[in-house]
Amino acid sequence: MRVGIRGIFDKAFTILTAMSVVFISLVLLGVLGPMIWKGSSAVVFRGTVEFRKMQLSLFQRGDEQALESEIIEADNFRKVIYEILDEFKRGIDREALSEQARRIHREFGKELRYKNIKGEEYSRLRSTTRDIRDKLEETFESQDVNEIRENIEYVLKFQDEPLFKNTIAAGYFSIATDFLKTAEEIDISKQYEYAKSVEDIEQIIVKLLGPRPGESKPTLARMRFGATRWDLAQKLINDLLVEKKWVEDEPGKPLIQREIDRSARFAGTKLEPLFDYVRTNAHKMLRPKLTFYWQFFIDDNFNSHYFGGVGPEILGTLLITLIGMIFAVPLGLISAAYIVECASDNFVLRIIRMCINTLAGVPSIVFGLFGLAFFVLFLFPKVGIPSKGCILAASMTLSILTLPVMIRASEEAIRAVPQTYKEASLSLGASRFRTFVTVTFPAALPGILTGIILSLSRIAGETAPILFTGAVSLGPVPKSVLDPTRTLSYGSYDMAVGDRISMMVPHNQYGMVVTLVILVLCLNALAIGLRSRVFKKLKGH
Amino acid sequence: MPITALENGIKIAVPESTKKLDDKKILAEVEDLSSCVCTIVKAEKFSLYYGSKAGVKDITMDIFPCSVTAIIGPSGCGKSTFLRSINRMNDLIPHVHAEGKLIVDGQDVYDKRVNLVNLRQQVGMVFQKPNPFPKSIFDNVAYGPRLQGIKKRSDLQRIVEQSLKASALWEEVKDDLKKSALALSGGQQQRLCIARALATKPRVLLMDEPCSALDPIATGRIEDLIEQLKSTYTIVIVTHNMQQAARVSERAAFFCLGELIEYDLTSKIFSNPTKKQTEDYITGRFG
Repeated sequence: MRVGIRGIFDKAFTILTAMSVVFISLVLLGVLGPMIWKGSSAVVFRGTVEFRKMQLSLFQRGDEQALESEIIEADNFRKVIYEILDEFKRGIDREALSEQARRIHREFGKELRYKNIKGEEYSRLRSTTRDIRDKLEETFESQDVNEIRENIEYVLKFQDEPLFKNTIAAGYFSIATDFLKTAEEIDISKQYEYAKSVEDIEQIIVKLLGPRPGESKPTLARMRFGATRWDLAQKLINDLLVEKKWVEDEPGKPLIQREIDRSARFAGTKLEPLFDYVRTNAHKMLRPKLTFYWQFFIDDNFNSHYFGGVGPEILGTLLITLIGMIFAVPLGLISAAYIVECASDNFVLRIIRMCINTLAGVPSIVFGLFGLAFFVLFLFPKVGIPSKGCILAASMTLSILTLPVMIRASEEAIRAVPQTYKEASLSLGASRFRTFVTVTFPAALPGILTGIILSLSRIAGETAPILFTGAVSLGPVPKSVLDPTRTLSYGSYDMAVGDRISMMVPHNQYGMVVTLVILVLCLNALAIGLRSRVFKKLKGH
Repeated sequence: MPITALENGIKIAVPESTKKLDDKKILAEVEDLSSCVCTIVKAEKFSLYYGSKAGVKDITMDIFPCSVTAIIGPSGCGKSTFLRSINRMNDLIPHVHAEGKLIVDGQDVYDKRVNLVNLRQQVGMVFQKPNPFPKSIFDNVAYGPRLQGIKKRSDLQRIVEQSLKASALWEEVKDDLKKSALALSGGQQQRLCIARALATKPRVLLMDEPCSALDPIATGRIEDLIEQLKSTYTIVIVTHNMQQAARVSERAAFFCLGELIEYDLTSKIFSNPTKKQTEDYITGRFG
């Protein structure tokens, strides 16, 4: 009976421990899985022709000729969109029409002078066109279909004037006919609403396809291209097809966001085919292709990470971390060696150890402020280094941050070396220093490497200590350790809090964070590999 | 009695077979021989204190060269303390101080001017548990010579080979000297430690219960080794195993509560001890 109970307890214990392992794995999967999934979209995604255009123009990467033909093919399909838009706007956009009428009047005057028509004839024609222009402008202001019709008919009377044939003035009659047609076709009261809606649509189209061919290129790199990624394009197409609007369902109740189908709103107009066209031909206009953008890890970015990668950030993180370790490891090791091997256990030593332990718990922002006050503002000017945040200051601050970890780990490792090793070495006539270097240190190396791993992962991801001592969110790639640098940790922070643009490119945000995680993992894997090699060597396998 | 030439050129007379020691005639000869050669380790009213507590008190004894001296006694009686005093390994423990004289090779070990490095190279030590360094076999044995400043590969190789041959390990490991010492068996590790101690060419070899962590076969091999080594080295061995003391040693010292109770020829200690305490301990009535 008692044996039976004990067996049950043993089994329960086994199950419990196994469950905890499963639980931890699930948590890890739950945390890392989505992050890596989302972050991988910065590297592997369906890039559109706009992406390839961007790569060619910003990074000089890609096949120019193939792209050229691709652009021509895409533009063939895009043309239709622009035609539909222009056609629709002709009847809708009254301001544009007035502007057009005024332009025709001006141009016609020039044309007459060019044709050398002078005197009475000239003034007669000018007054006629002025008359037409005024009439049209009046028409474009009007809300009444009958009045419009009357006015247009008045204008069209001049259509037969021989001197207007085949001149710019013929444009009057085509816009007048168009406008009348539109005015008869669609509800005139809706025209203003349409004009507003078309503006929205045009903006979305610019985001989707980039600026129209032939238009001047915007200065901002991110405005020069349309949707570079298919997922972004799909979102924009959805925005185009469905309008989100806050509506009042019942009076007094909070507003509700409703999705309104845009094509229904434009039913019966010339714009209606646009929506179907975009839906069916989106692929042909953007030509998405599965892209493996590994250059994400080496590229510099454009417009606050709107385009490009995290190359300088990786470089900065590596530099700061490794230089930090160069300071922290020897210092930590020597301190630990002193505490274990040389110092006698007295009051002072106990105070020192307490300080080290306390230091490990100090918030990292305090180290950041200390680094700013001590290294940047106090120490650097004294030794003739410019008093500004730089890699050196950041590394030194980080090394102080991680020193307690390093000392504690090394201390434990050195303490764990069997006394018999030291005795054997001493009994052979070695000095204490020699014993430490040739026997104790190699035997403690795996433990010391564990300390290095812990420190490394801690400082690679720290943000607060480098906030004031050497990290910047934008800036050139550092040329020496006396330049400030961008880092992955600070970049992630900056993109999360400071930047509206980064909200438009969440894939790059995720990409940066995942890169940081992967970088730390890689550094750790390196150290763990080294440790297992040392361990094996020590164990003699 | 045949004359054997040692490596260092000193010629010395040794019994043909040490197994015949119980033969009274030879025993007397050995005693004569020992007394005519000056002692190599000499303790005069030597005491060692851990703080205020005495580890050993008022030890006066002479240890003769090229012989095996066994130190026996109950646990905590100061055997190891005395042994470790000879090469000052007790210095590792804080608050240790010594009184009296402990002379090795004509020099007071606890003199302030003594060169610890030289002392420890003259007085090698083998510990209770085999403690090879986590390095290769070669590096283990070459550790001492390297400390002495020998850097030439060929010299080191010669010394390693000699030492391993002297500790009867050469045949077993000669093909893979690069193998980690920790891959060896316990008995092999202990012989490696002996080889490591021999590589510095010590005059005295201290053994602190060298067989206590080994099985009987490995113990037998170590004992055979001690038999071979005593022609060249002065060996002081601490042991809990009375049979072992009787088997390998020529002289034996019985320690109790930090004091030297009796020190005499082994055969005499085991057959006819003068002190009652010794007799009680040996016959198993005490300790």
